[in-house]
Amino acid sequence: MARLSRVVLASALICACGAGLLAHELGTTRVAILLNDGKTYDIEVVTDAAALVEKLAASNGEPPVADVRPERLHARLERFDEQFRRRVAVRFDASEVRPTITYAISPGADAAAAPMATIRLTGPVPSSAAHLTWRYAWTFASYAVTIRRAASDSPTTEWLEGGRSSGPVALKAPAPAVDRLATARRYLALGFTHIVPGGLDHVLFVLGIYLLSGRARSVLLQVSAFTMAHSITLGLSMYGLVTVSPRIVEPLIALSIAYVAIENIFLSELKAWRVALVFVFGLLHGMGFAGALKELGLPRSEFVTALLTFNVGVEAGQLAVIGTAFLLVGWYSADRVWYRRRIVVPASMAIACTAVYWTIQRL
Amino acid sequence: MNASTGRHRSLFVVVAIALLSVPLAAHDMWIEPTTFFPQPGEIVSLRLRVGQDLLGDPLLLDPSLVNQFVVKDGDGIRPVVRRDGRDPAGLVRLAAPGVHVIGYRSNPSAIEIPADTFNQYLKEEGLDGVSARRASRNEARAPAREIFSRCAKSLVFSGANADAAGDRQLGFTLELVAERNPYGLRADQDLPVRLVYENRPLSGALVVAINRLNPAEKLSARTAADGRVRFKLRRDGMWLIKAVHMVPAPQGAQAEWASFWASLTFEMRTASAGTN
Repeated sequence: MARLSRVVLASALICACGAGLLAHELGTTRVAILLNDGKTYDIEVVTDAAALVEKLAASNGEPPVADVRPERLHARLERFDEQFRRRVAVRFDASEVRPTITYAISPGADAAAAPMATIRLTGPVPSSAAHLTWRYAWTFASYAVTIRRAASDSPTTEWLEGGRSSGPVALKAPAPAVDRLATARRYLALGFTHIVPGGLDHVLFVLGIYLLSGRARSVLLQVSAFTMAHSITLGLSMYGLVTVSPRIVEPLIALSIAYVAIENIFLSELKAWRVALVFVFGLLHGMGFAGALKELGLPRSEFVTALLTFNVGVEAGQLAVIGTAFLLVGWYSADRVWYRRRIVVPASMAIACTAVYWTIQRL
Repeated sequence: MNASTGRHRSLFVVVAIALLSVPLAAHDMWIEPTTFFPQPGEIVSLRLRVGQDLLGDPLLLDPSLVNQFVVKDGDGIRPVVRRDGRDPAGLVRLAAPGVHVIGYRSNPSAIEIPADTFNQYLKEEGLDGVSARRASRNEARAPAREIFSRCAKSLVFSGANADAAGDRQLGFTLELVAERNPYGLRADQDLPVRLVYENRPLSGALVVAINRLNPAEKLSARTAADGRVRFKLRRDGMWLIKAVHMVPAPQGAQAEWASFWASLTFEMRTASAGTN
């Protein structure tokens, strides 16, 4: 089975090579590079043992090798360790590292095939390294290098001529290219839909602050305070500067809705402390938005764009709620004498009941 | 260490310095059987090797590149048992005694070579005419697109009758033909080799002979008008005789140049004397 797989691999290598623009002569050498999640590297070179030993001997000023018994080849490989290292380079960024090298000899793929040397080069990846470059100059033929960033990854293959350096191999998989405009659109939409239709609790809170008074000044001050506050905690939470458990935040958000709605029943005009309270409640809601945004995930390369546009989307959602409420009831009835009795109080009671229920549910 | 050993060591160091320092396009390719002296009826493995100064790497047999992979002897010409995608590239059973001519001819492969590398390779292979033509066309600083073909032969001797017929022409585009049986050479005899391009003698081409045990000490000569060079092969061991010829690539090849790489391998067991 192992023999068959090696034959299949060799045939596949030849087919792949033949498909290239430049048809090179493919040798029996093959190299597999495994980067264990950027922590360690494990490079396996499989090559014709006698051919390698002969070249090592020649470069050491020694005559050709006559004895090709596996144990003799193995002993010679170990003896030529320093010689071998001179034409092999493992570089992380601009720095060459000295790997630990072990040598083994295995029989050829079939009875006619020559013994193969398996040479393993291992070591830790320097902590700040971003790229690996590989060079192997002990073969005259072309060879395939397969690269995996983790043992579970499917390999990528690069074809190299002996002596040529590989291209820089990123230790971490490159993030897919992110288009800024597409990111902005996506997170704007996510912010909006997080309010309408996804965030009934936030909708009820916004309705609560709208219902207090039919005056535009009341709505404007409360909405501004709320927006400023939730923007602050959303940003701080996303940067990890503020962390409060959702188990605390979510019941408090529900309680804030209940408070605003209940206060609407007893209060008919805007007071300064109401604006201050809405600001404090906005801080809580911002942490709630942050929790949702963390679940959605932010692209690292477009973090700020995504954060800002999500917040703008949230804002647009809130304004849509207020605009709808104004068109449905405020525009026609806010100045009517019955407005407070028939609209504000029952609606606020309904909001309060729902919010109290949520508070209990979320505890 | 005696003086002779020291000289050999220094020569190997010279080889070592040159080793692996030149581009792929300038590497030789030859056939290396598991033995040059099989018993009649023995199965011989045939390895294709690419390298320099007889230090090389085995090649996997690429079926898309094989144009001919044959053996020719007194009974005629027949294909070698191919091992596609594997090394050794082929197997052959040599039933009859005598010299068996193994031949591998490849289809052309395309390669693009930077100007400096290409110029260096022309110089090393004695392709002065191509260099002059590039210079006259102001192309010396331009990269070259080339298609290259391999025309490798190996002479394997089975049995004891060294006076039997030697090399035979296979009809390769570029071919080195030993005009005397190297397995029957006496100590005072040289080996005449004819270089043939499209079945006609090729004159003025550089032919190089390299011995495995002393690859730094190369014998070289330019072919005469009749395509011949003569070598006095002093040393025992495996020999590689090689030559490269380059012509303008045919139209439609998407290359400027077409090169042909001829090689001939055999092994000497009777130490003779003198170089050409």
